[in-house]
Amino acid sequence: MKLLTHNMLTSKCLKGVNVGYPLGILAKDVKVSEVDFNPEFVSRIIPKLDWNVLWNAADSIGHSGELPKAVISDYENNQEFLKKAHHVLMEVEVINGELICPESGRKFPISDGIPNMLLNEDEV
Amino acid sequence: MSYKDIRKCNKKQKRSSHMLFRETGIKTCDRSRILMICNAGLVSGIQREEVINLFLPFGKLEDVCMLPGKSYCFVAFRNEEDAQEAYSVLHGKTILNATEVKLILAFVESVPKTDHDFKSSSWPNGLILLKDFITEVEEDLLIRCVNWDTGAGNSGRALKHRRVRHYGYEFRYDNNNVDKDDPLPEDLPKECSFFEERLFQRSGIRFKPDQLTVNEYHPGQGIPPHIDTHSAFEGIIASLSLGSLVVMEFKHTDGRHASVPLPRRSLVLMTGESRYAWTHGITPRKMDVVVLEEDNKFENGCLSVSHRGTRTSFTFRRILRGECCCNFPLFCDSFKKRESSSSSFKIESETANDNIDNRVAAKLESMHVHSVYEEIASHFSETRHKAWPNISNFVNDLPPGSILLDVGCGNGKYFGVNKNIFEIGCDQSIGLASVANKRGFQVFTSNCLHIPLKPGIADACICIAVIHHLSTKERRLQALTQIAEVLRPGGQALVYVWAKEQERDKVKSSYLRQMGKRNSGKSDEETSHKHCVSELDLSLPVHKNRTDFQHGDLFVPWKLKHDTDGKTSKEVPTFYRYYHVFEEGELETLSREILDIRILKSYYDQGNWCLLMEKSKE
Repeated sequence: MKLLTHNMLTSKCLKGVNVGYPLGILAKDVKVSEVDFNPEFVSRIIPKLDWNVLWNAADSIGHSGELPKAVISDYENNQEFLKKAHHVLMEVEVINGELICPESGRKFPISDGIPNMLLNEDEV
Repeated sequence: MSYKDIRKCNKKQKRSSHMLFRETGIKTCDRSRILMICNAGLVSGIQREEVINLFLPFGKLEDVCMLPGKSYCFVAFRNEEDAQEAYSVLHGKTILNATEVKLILAFVESVPKTDHDFKSSSWPNGLILLKDFITEVEEDLLIRCVNWDTGAGNSGRALKHRRVRHYGYEFRYDNNNVDKDDPLPEDLPKECSFFEERLFQRSGIRFKPDQLTVNEYHPGQGIPPHIDTHSAFEGIIASLSLGSLVVMEFKHTDGRHASVPLPRRSLVLMTGESRYAWTHGITPRKMDVVVLEEDNKFENGCLSVSHRGTRTSFTFRRILRGECCCNFPLFCDSFKKRESSSSSFKIESETANDNIDNRVAAKLESMHVHSVYEEIASHFSETRHKAWPNISNFVNDLPPGSILLDVGCGNGKYFGVNKNIFEIGCDQSIGLASVANKRGFQVFTSNCLHIPLKPGIADACICIAVIHHLSTKERRLQALTQIAEVLRPGGQALVYVWAKEQERDKVKSSYLRQMGKRNSGKSDEETSHKHCVSELDLSLPVHKNRTDFQHGDLFVPWKLKHDTDGKTSKEVPTFYRYYHVFEEGELETLSREILDIRILKSYYDQGNWCLLMEKSKE
């Protein structure tokens, strides 16, 4: 699970949960691998993100690195910034661990990089 | 228009002219009162109301002809001069919807014959319309007598697309019936006491209702086609229209269709065949096509559109004591109860009702969709690698930086087609999701009824060959609603489902064409062979692979392994996958129940019904 994916996942489908966002991360294995850098892609993705959630997620698994706490102005033209964002969004992956619902505490296992968001019949 | 544009238009016009002649035998000409719209029709998602609205300013219209499955349509003016005027203003200039396509018009000699018309001769037998049944004062009194806020239990509430209030007895939408032993504390309002006597005076019919349902529809709202459950009510259903005119659509399973305008303050009576064998419903839209009152015969009448206002309907019914004994067994729940009292419960696709119980539905899908895919995941994945061109094109056209969600992504066939977007997929099958994940794609497991993503996050969505695995209409609608929710305003979704019709314009789908290569067989076998799921007390027909579909709900067998040389040496396990195959228009009708989406395109592609929809921008 890349942190870009984490930025969109919620537990809102659980009965009794309103927003279910952001999900907490408990990472057991984290993998960092190189992914081709596409500055146009990154700069277009940034406005769609919740940056705060991204930063906290990265920080919680020890990978915030040099990522600024806020999006800088004119980020589209700042290669250095885009590269840092690219690294956190695309190159860091949680392989095994858990996602945790902020409202109910329900845990969703992540195994082999795949978050299991399946719910039981009585949970919806 | 530039010279280049004119040439382009002329070329398109010529091409359409050839196609029209080939398909209908109708010729184009230089002058006529009939215009053909060469590049807009039912297939491209344009509605009759929109066509009328566009052409009405130029003069009186006698006919608008929309052919199912065609991307062109026809407008017949009363006067040739008006057609000329429309041509000179609209041809090659006006842009329709958001399609970015300029209208191409041509004059034609005649209009093809269709079975859709507005003549009262095509109304269902037993349907009676009494105009001006009440006065304006009475209308006002009735609208004001409904107190929406009080009412016991569920007797007054807002349904998904309209407000409903029950008197006398509550009509329950979960089982489409009434609890006959549990009347509501509130009887019919005293304001309605004139009804019985007035009806007798106007029609000679004696009918004493003991149940009243009041519905409030705002423009754009409607009610899906249905037949009132036979065993719930007696043979007369009377509905009073207040506040605004609406067109009610009547449909028979044999294909007959009638659009009946219900004027303000009129009473419509459904009796006999119209009550027992025809579905009635209101299409959710904001305007209706009407024939102007001046002359009632359609041949000479003029078409117009009527913009809907808020309509309140008072539907009077009488609770049936005992079981129904009508002459329409095909549509009768009492008849079916008698028939199947000994054997297990069967699904009859001929009826308009959705017969699979919601509790059974989840189990059925778990046993005969999810478990099966889990078992066959790796074999299935080996057979699914060829991407369908129209879907690849949709994905390829997405601008860089788009977020695409693939609902039911399987092995991730459409991932990696466009390298400049972010793709995320979900699938119920852990096996299939891990195939996609191993190929380097972002996936998570979830059911399409509960998509765990932030609302409005996706720029686009595809959902290919997924919704036909859901076994009730409610669940199929919920899946579409989930997709609509995850789209951002203006975001688009492309949905594919398996079509019941595997042959179109005499061309067999590739699914059928592959039959020759394998063992051929007759499709009649589907009707005789049934697979019984004893745990659910349910039996469904088993489909014979590579043949036409005979039923809407069925099992499609999957044989796990074939020997490489084509000979099967030992017994292979067979899995039964549940499918609901869609009929023409079904997917479109379903999507119209979702308020914040708009259909951009509805088409048939290689044995599938396909829908391109857009989340509204507000």
